[in-house]
Amino acid sequence: MPDMHELSIASTILERARAASQQNGGARVTKIGLRIGEISGVEADALTFGIEALSKDTPLQGVTLDVEFCKRKQRCTACATEFEHEGFVASCPTCHGDQSECIAGKELDVKFFELEDPPCA
Amino acid sequence: MRVDVEEKVLSENDKLALGLRERYRKHNVFCVNLISAPGSGKTALLERTLEALPKTAKVALLTGDLQTENDARRLAKAGFPVKQITTGGTCHLDASMIIKALDDWDLDAIDILFVENVGNLVCPTSYDLGEHAKIVLLSVTEGEDKPLKYPSIFAAAELCIINKLDLLPYVPFDLAQAIANVRQVHPGMEVVETSCTKVQGLDAWLAWIERRRK
Repeated sequence: MPDMHELSIASTILERARAASQQNGGARVTKIGLRIGEISGVEADALTFGIEALSKDTPLQGVTLDVEFCKRKQRCTACATEFEHEGFVASCPTCHGDQSECIAGKELDVKFFELEDPPCA
Repeated sequence: MRVDVEEKVLSENDKLALGLRERYRKHNVFCVNLISAPGSGKTALLERTLEALPKTAKVALLTGDLQTENDARRLAKAGFPVKQITTGGTCHLDASMIIKALDDWDLDAIDILFVENVGNLVCPTSYDLGEHAKIVLLSVTEGEDKPLKYPSIFAAAELCIINKLDLLPYVPFDLAQAIANVRQVHPGMEVVETSCTKVQGLDAWLAWIERRRK
């Protein structure tokens, strides 16, 4: 299927959700918990659209997303101060060094699935 | 009922990329992943690079596009092994495509593998291809604020190449500001300035490859 990459990511997430449903006696997945970093390259809105489009007319239709957004965080190479990369301020607020490594903001994780109780046998 | 997962969405791709990284290490292959908007000059840069290399260099190339074999045809002229990956509609290369493309190649015959990603400043950032370094290209016709607009790739890449320098007199592009923007997003990032029509700055790029491979 031609896609923006959120669509292939949505498809991967839905595959996991289907597997989780199968492992739990076919219980319907109602919510997917995600963690998305500021510089993960993934737009939450586009991802939501992808999930809706790809789950339409499937058992996953109507599944909701619970997105935890993670801001980009840097750690100063010189003094180890951790700081948020607010408004692209790149230098360390403590020592003003301009070398730092990214320690948060690249996340793209599935945290949890919420399922309905499995249908009674 | 809640089931905790705590897993990377792209863990499948990451696993494959890890396998590629292992293979590159074992066979001493240095792999770079070139990423830019369409038309920034990735193919032209590779053409000039191949022309500058000795014919005996053990270099190979994979080039990604949605359709056509045009880039592979252009790159094949230099006589090095090249393979086109046509993704159909997909806007990025992923690790499984690289594994498939490398299938019938002897990695011992390759020292440097250039991967030219699909022209796109966004999506390729998310997909690890097992490369040693991502390289981002920015051309002077694109505007100096691109690093601020697309920070993810500029944060992830190790080297930024500013290309089409020969066009600088004709476009309102503030080179110093562009470099400042690159470093605002990625403190200390190395920048190389090139022109692929006037063949300029190539030495700095080749020197970077040599230094980085060691």
